[in-house]
Amino acid sequence: MEISLLGTEILLATLGFLALVTGLLPGRAKSITGSMSLAGLLLILVYTIAHFGEEASLFQGIYLVDNFAAYFKMLFLTATLLVSLGAGRYLERFENKKSEFYSLMVFATLGMVIMASAGDFITLYVGLELMTVSFYILTAFLLRDGLSTEAGLKYLVLGAASSAILLFGISLVMAYTGTTVIGATAARLMTEPAVVAGIVLLAAGFAFKISVIPFHMWTPDIYQGAPTPVTNYLSVASKAAAFAAMVRVFMVAVDAAPGLTLSWNLILAILAALTIIVGNLIALVQEDIKRLLAYSSIAQAGYILAGLAAANAYGLKGVLFYALLYVFCNTGAFIIATAVEVDSGSTAIEAFRGLSKRSPALAAIMTICLLSLAGIPPLAGFVGKFYLFAGAIQQGYLWLALIGLIMSMVSVYYYLNVSRVMYIEKAGKQEPVKGSGAFRLALWVCALAAIFLGCYPAPLSNLAQQAIQLFL
Amino acid sequence: MIGLSHYLIFSTVLFGIGIFGMLSRRNAIAVLMSVELMLNAVNVNFVAINRFVTSGQAAGQLFSIFVIVVAAAEVSVGLALIISIYRHRKSVDLNNFDLLKW
Amino acid sequence: MLTDYATIGVFFLLTVSFPIAAMALSWIFRPKPKAAPDDEKYTTYECGVDTRGKTWIRFRVNYFLFALVFLAFDVETVFLYPWAVKFQKLGFFAFAEMIVFIAILVVALWYAWKEGALEWH
Repeated sequence: MEISLLGTEILLATLGFLALVTGLLPGRAKSITGSMSLAGLLLILVYTIAHFGEEASLFQGIYLVDNFAAYFKMLFLTATLLVSLGAGRYLERFENKKSEFYSLMVFATLGMVIMASAGDFITLYVGLELMTVSFYILTAFLLRDGLSTEAGLKYLVLGAASSAILLFGISLVMAYTGTTVIGATAARLMTEPAVVAGIVLLAAGFAFKISVIPFHMWTPDIYQGAPTPVTNYLSVASKAAAFAAMVRVFMVAVDAAPGLTLSWNLILAILAALTIIVGNLIALVQEDIKRLLAYSSIAQAGYILAGLAAANAYGLKGVLFYALLYVFCNTGAFIIATAVEVDSGSTAIEAFRGLSKRSPALAAIMTICLLSLAGIPPLAGFVGKFYLFAGAIQQGYLWLALIGLIMSMVSVYYYLNVSRVMYIEKAGKQEPVKGSGAFRLALWVCALAAIFLGCYPAPLSNLAQQAIQLFL
Repeated sequence: MIGLSHYLIFSTVLFGIGIFGMLSRRNAIAVLMSVELMLNAVNVNFVAINRFVTSGQAAGQLFSIFVIVVAAAEVSVGLALIISIYRHRKSVDLNNFDLLKW
Repeated sequence: MLTDYATIGVFFLLTVSFPIAAMALSWIFRPKPKAAPDDEKYTTYECGVDTRGKTWIRFRVNYFLFALVFLAFDVETVFLYPWAVKFQKLGFFAFAEMIVFIAILVVALWYAWKEGALEWH
């Protein structure tokens, strides 16, 4: 076995520990943690990109190195980098706990990376828990803030319960297949009530992690209570990780099972439709930017789920494509929301009043990101939705595509409402919103990616095509 | 003969009790204990599977060891959070945690 | 099937009869007092210092924090058992892996120490 196949994981673990240890150094030596973590993450991202295309199955198939995992690894690392860069002055609220923040972010990333590569349910579970336990702590990171600790405790209770449900599903499936290796499961699955119940519980556990309706209750509360950069990370990366694991489990184990007659596509399609409708409708009446983005992220999860329900080349390519562009667009919106929150001390949409006069660039980027989320051409979101809905139509779910299309138009209302507040209403303050160089860099990357991927989607689309090849 | 199905039924009942406790108890620590009950129901399943389905391999037992360890980590974080909340609010009753709309 | 349950029944009877037998025997053999017991008999300790206050007192939160740190480290060591059982077969690579695992735990302990989790304030 070549140790370089596990390079990303080993480097991430090392970086996480280094960040933890440098935080213990006395005095000013502490302050290197931030730049060291960012540099380390960038290096690991470059390493992962350089090693794209390697294929191997390690430890008798419990750990898989393939293009699909590599694609998601790049996605997670990009998200971690952008979120850490964009957090900017919000980090001052963490006082002397900044190194723990970076360390936990890196460990959460490691958990996601393991989830994407897991070829076995035990590995999948360990990765999932590494990610979620890190997130419990990150959510409650502002210990003096009642909202944050309360959100952390709620997330912990509900997250642990959802893990238990997922595990119960796994155990029921395993009772019939006798194996924990995902690849070996398919051949032994059969249409038994217990197996069907197991798969339904499995789907429910994943649905909870990606906040699909009716398993979404926790999302707005936790998103509102968590520190804003953590909310951002939670909404883009933890969702993508759950999708990565879900796609692998459902495509490799359930879809390919010859002895199982279960229309799981239809179940997921109905869930996706429900999620798109309810998420968008509730988002219409939100007055807090974090809650608005939370409901918007529920709706976005619905679009992505539609691609998985389609389970064909277009749909899966859409899942991967959309997950990445969602990282850029949502992170862009969240970074600006963070800056505005630091500036005004409020998370209400009102706080955006007159942003176009104060910081025209921020207002423009916010509008680009939100319109991309709404799926307006020529931005990236349009292309992503095109793939997802094309997949759904090909699979015969024309109704799902129609619902998605109509609700996308509805979503334009609440996204543009934010722009209306920024451009039309008068500001109380006149001075521009402050931000560091790193913050601006992250913002420009997000905005340019949203435009570039919309106008010229071919390279990323090809990459996604390579990544899903093993499922077709 | 007591077989796999007896264990599965037993663990399902245990799991149901755990869910009921999680939804009905209002004390944060009791809720955490209910979640533990759910995880232990899963452990029963895995150990029973190890005995009846995959004899000779240790996959089921390994899985339950991992579940136990991860559950301990989760509970440590949970109890630490509860202590921190208790210091501020002098209460561990979930009904009082109403800053966020539940 | 039935014989399995019969075993359980026998165990159940045994577990019930043991405490009953123990209590009955001590009731038979103990010296029986002539007069009714006075107040002294009802105190917690018949001889020694009188107790004060209630037993439902609040413990310091530090006990709790120590318990948490202990719990986390204690449960991690469960991984040592399967490793120790198969140690002969696994060879040097597994040994190195376990060293890495313990090193990770040591870093965690060091962190807890530095953060003051082991201090009694």
